[in-house]
Amino acid sequence: MRQRLSKVLVLLIVLVTVLSFMGCKRDDKEQKGKDNDKNVEQTGSDTGSEDENNVDDGEVVPGWQVNADDKVDLTWYLHFSWFTTPWGENLISQTITEETGVNIEFVVPAGNEAEKLNSLIASDSLPDLITLGWWEGQVGQMIEDDMVYALDELAKEYDPYWFQVADSGRVGWFTQEDGHIYGYPNSSFSPADYEKYDNIPSNQTFLVRKDMYEAIGSPDMTTPEGFKAAVRAAVEKFPEINGQPLIPIGAHEFGATGNTSFDQYLCNFLAIPYEKDGKFYDRFTDPELIRWLKTFRELGEEGYLEDDIFIDKRAQMEEKIAQGRYFCMLYQRTDFMDQQKMLYENDPDSIYIAIDGPKNSNGDPHTLPGTGINGWTLTFISKNCERPDRAIQLCSYLMSEHGQLMTWLGVEGETWDYVDGKPTMKQEVRDILKSDRAEYDRLYGSDSAYWMFQDNAMALQWTEPAGPPLQQMEEWTYKYVISTSQYDVTLPAGSDEAEIQSKVDNEWGRILPKLLLAKSEAEFDNVLNDFIKQREEWGFDKVLAAKTVLMNEAKAKLGLN
Amino acid sequence: MSRTRLVKTTQKSGFKYTLKKFARQKYLQMMVIPGIIWMLIFNFIPMGGIIIAFKKYKITRTIAEAPWVGLKYFQDFFQDSNFTSVMTNTLGISFLKLILGFPLPIIFALLINEIRNVKFKKFAQTISYLPHFLSWVVLGGILTTWLSKTGVINDFFVWLGIIKEPISFLGKPEYFWGLAFISDSWKELGWSAIIYLAAISGVDTQMYEAATVDGATKMQKIRYITLPSIAGTVAIMLILQVSSLLNSNFDQIMNLKNSINIARSQVIDTYVYQVGMTQGNYSYATAVGLFKSIVALILLVIANKTCKKLLGRSLYR
Amino acid sequence: MRKTRSSKIKRSTGTLIFDWANTIFMLIICFLCIYPIWYVVVNSFNDAHDAMMGGIYWWPRMFSLENYRTVFADNRVLQAFKVTIAKTVIGTSVNVFFTAMVAYPMSKNYLVGRKFYMAMGTITMFFSGGLIPTFILFKKLNLLNNFMVYVIPAAFNFFNLLIFINFFNEIPPALEESARIDGATDWKIFRSIILPLSKPVLATIALFAGVGQWNDWFGGVMYMTTRMDLEPIQTYLYRMVAQVGSNQVAGSISAGNISAQSTTSTAIKLATMVITTLPICLVYPFLQKYFVKGVMVGAVKE
Repeated sequence: MRQRLSKVLVLLIVLVTVLSFMGCKRDDKEQKGKDNDKNVEQTGSDTGSEDENNVDDGEVVPGWQVNADDKVDLTWYLHFSWFTTPWGENLISQTITEETGVNIEFVVPAGNEAEKLNSLIASDSLPDLITLGWWEGQVGQMIEDDMVYALDELAKEYDPYWFQVADSGRVGWFTQEDGHIYGYPNSSFSPADYEKYDNIPSNQTFLVRKDMYEAIGSPDMTTPEGFKAAVRAAVEKFPEINGQPLIPIGAHEFGATGNTSFDQYLCNFLAIPYEKDGKFYDRFTDPELIRWLKTFRELGEEGYLEDDIFIDKRAQMEEKIAQGRYFCMLYQRTDFMDQQKMLYENDPDSIYIAIDGPKNSNGDPHTLPGTGINGWTLTFISKNCERPDRAIQLCSYLMSEHGQLMTWLGVEGETWDYVDGKPTMKQEVRDILKSDRAEYDRLYGSDSAYWMFQDNAMALQWTEPAGPPLQQMEEWTYKYVISTSQYDVTLPAGSDEAEIQSKVDNEWGRILPKLLLAKSEAEFDNVLNDFIKQREEWGFDKVLAAKTVLMNEAKAKLGLN
Repeated sequence: MSRTRLVKTTQKSGFKYTLKKFARQKYLQMMVIPGIIWMLIFNFIPMGGIIIAFKKYKITRTIAEAPWVGLKYFQDFFQDSNFTSVMTNTLGISFLKLILGFPLPIIFALLINEIRNVKFKKFAQTISYLPHFLSWVVLGGILTTWLSKTGVINDFFVWLGIIKEPISFLGKPEYFWGLAFISDSWKELGWSAIIYLAAISGVDTQMYEAATVDGATKMQKIRYITLPSIAGTVAIMLILQVSSLLNSNFDQIMNLKNSINIARSQVIDTYVYQVGMTQGNYSYATAVGLFKSIVALILLVIANKTCKKLLGRSLYR
Repeated sequence: MRKTRSSKIKRSTGTLIFDWANTIFMLIICFLCIYPIWYVVVNSFNDAHDAMMGGIYWWPRMFSLENYRTVFADNRVLQAFKVTIAKTVIGTSVNVFFTAMVAYPMSKNYLVGRKFYMAMGTITMFFSGGLIPTFILFKKLNLLNNFMVYVIPAAFNFFNLLIFINFFNEIPPALEESARIDGATDWKIFRSIILPLSKPVLATIALFAGVGQWNDWFGGVMYMTTRMDLEPIQTYLYRMVAQVGSNQVAGSISAGNISAQSTTSTAIKLATMVITTLPICLVYPFLQKYFVKGVMVGAVKE
């Protein structure tokens, strides 16, 4: 008996060891990968130097075309937990793998993204490619501590074609002090693009429910008086929607650092400047913003700010939008496209439309930030990557016009054709896209389902009007869009200023609901003054000074001034 | 008693005797030591990371490279203007859960045990533990809808006549502690009862039979047979709950707190998450964690001693 | 069971009232516990768009299997299920037997070093090094992207050990003594006397460990950095339910143009939850027999 037991135990131990060795085996493979890498480096550098001469001749062969037969796997970390489209199951990803020989395994965190990325960085186990928002603190950390390749160096060595497809404006903007560029952006618009295109949209809109707004006579809502009157009229006429009370004013979710609707968006609608007298301006204490916050407070006192907007998370908001429960709201139009489509299907009059919202006392036009030179994400190639040659070639592929056409429209002949010389999506494909995005991603996966290198500026030439329920909201923003690239500054992570900023942000997040819910104007002023005093104690001036420096640097880089 | 005597003799006879004793119980030691090694590897090695509570740690550098900052992060936490309110909320909710919440699963387990129909007994047990499996992310969404002015709970209370006007439960800070306590008790009632049910099922049924013959009432049987038999389990659970007074149900609070009730709903765990973890400030988060651990350990020792004195039971026997 | 029936005769009115009150109380509890589950189930069987309108309490308004079809259309679901089942079965058995094995000697007062071992264990309950040191350790031990990360670091649990000790202490020492006189080693006593007597506690710990394994999504999120095929089903579910709201981060900072990434509808989330939760809920009734009857009785009598 005893012997049998110890045998079982020994077996168990052996099993465990064997299994953990299996883990090690992968390492052996990786070692081999590294050896291959060395070979590649040798051949790569040979051809690289030749190619370098060719750059000017314009005869550069795109690197990806050479290697299509040599299949490699790359892992790609995306710092966005909501991304769920797998690679290799739809037409677009399969085609890209076929054309470039690169198969991709996405690594996507769930829940708290920072937790995963920080662990990967701290343990030096970053995947091959990394995509994250340009504002994240980890961007600077990865560059400073030499965890990612300089893209220009890789390009010089393995794929000079990259220089042809990279946008010089963006490269210039993201080039670091050491003269190298480490991450390439997507969705980036340079100030020059703003001159060139008149159909650059913003996401920020002031929306009203069409039928209600028209029923109360389409009043002007740009002044506090007009706004209050309109809200009162709407509640009087439509106290209930399907038996549930109307929510007169809607907003984004309240978070730890405030509420984008009532701070950022409102500032933009009121055309509050980002700088004053050459200094970075503290927009949240601008008299115009205070004036409107007080207007909302008054409406709250009269019972027009429902509890719902302070309590609901996004899921509840989406449900209420689908039910048409809000009269008006400051909201990101791209955040409720599905709901808008549903409303449209039920009753084309019950949709939300964008109209002019709160304006400052001069009645200045809104200044809504469009996407700037920073764009949205940056993509890096990690030093852990064993095939940086293939990684950079994949980047070039996706950045090129061919790659852009692939990710936006798909495969020629299968999902799109030339119509009057313009690439146009096939009708049956478009129908699926409009009715069932999930199914569309499962089958095709174009229309920028893989957005890691999406070049929205280039794609403007292929875009078609979004169609009735969405088009109006988008087009309304065109005339108000401005470029704010020079003000998109991030304080270096871990600096004193960044610490103060985060304290101030948290405090603002705490007091903003208090301001809106204050019982009297005196209470409002008290809370606000306490906040301003507290901020000064923490040394908020230092933050503004630091941001002014960063802003001026940004201006110089962009050639503004 | 016998144990203290044993310890004394060990001390007297010294190292050699201990070694001999150790050799004599080699089989027992062979069974324990793998567990000790496991703890050394998986608990104690990473525990070295606690040191970053006293350093300014950057994820791109090793812990050794980080500069010392002494007690800075502890000071930051204690001197934070929100410290008092965060501490009050944490303790408030924990005390509710301890004083009112702790007996509930025990009572529930005793009541379930009294069900005569075996099928219904099994049914009730199975049903009552189901809410444990609903994740707070989903449940938080459902509760937000149900607890709103137009939600089912208000409808029901108005229909019963308990309240006249619908109340926005999550919009009233003063209700938050109660809500946190009730929703947690409800969700974990059946699940927490399992451990007591297991303990009760270990009781010798012949003791009950004998008591019945002697004419004992139901209450007497519970008091003199069932409760003493599960006292060990109760003691363990009580001591552990006392020691975790500074812990909160993070997922629950995270999903029920909002901008109105924040004054009563922000607890240590959520606050540290907000100002530490989301900013990548691991040193701060570790410092607060260390503070909590030390408090927990002190509470454990006190609770353990008290329990030993009052009930003759402790965590270790 | 025979005993229950025989005692029926002697039931007094007081007992009768108690029984009725108890039954009614239990029915109320059952309703309170099952209704939210019912709510989740009916909503998951309703058309996703229609469910957004709210107000579905008792029965689906527009019955639809589409949500479930959508979930199963994802190839990852089946693979994730396999991983979950494997890790639950293997992880739970390892945890239960390993912890029980360590707990048995620890229940003996005369064990040399017991106090020291106990102190060590107590510390592990409260102090932890945090995520990053653990992550680095796992990397060094080659546990990243390795199925064993679900098993080995979960092989032992000090809280479970305390419960074992508490139970082992209730076992009459006479049983062990007689075996020892027969010349049995501690190993053998543990194997052939203690374990068979400990079915209720083994079932309890197995339930705790099993549910813990099944519900754990964190390991899949953190420790799989390239092998996404080793992610368990709960990671898949968590990914889905926790995604709400993250889009906004980009929006608030730079009005980033996130192209049409809509969130999954609530009904599909609920369907996923039903699918991922149902199997583990069904395990309990099978373990129940160990809770209902006292296993000790026969053995102690002897």
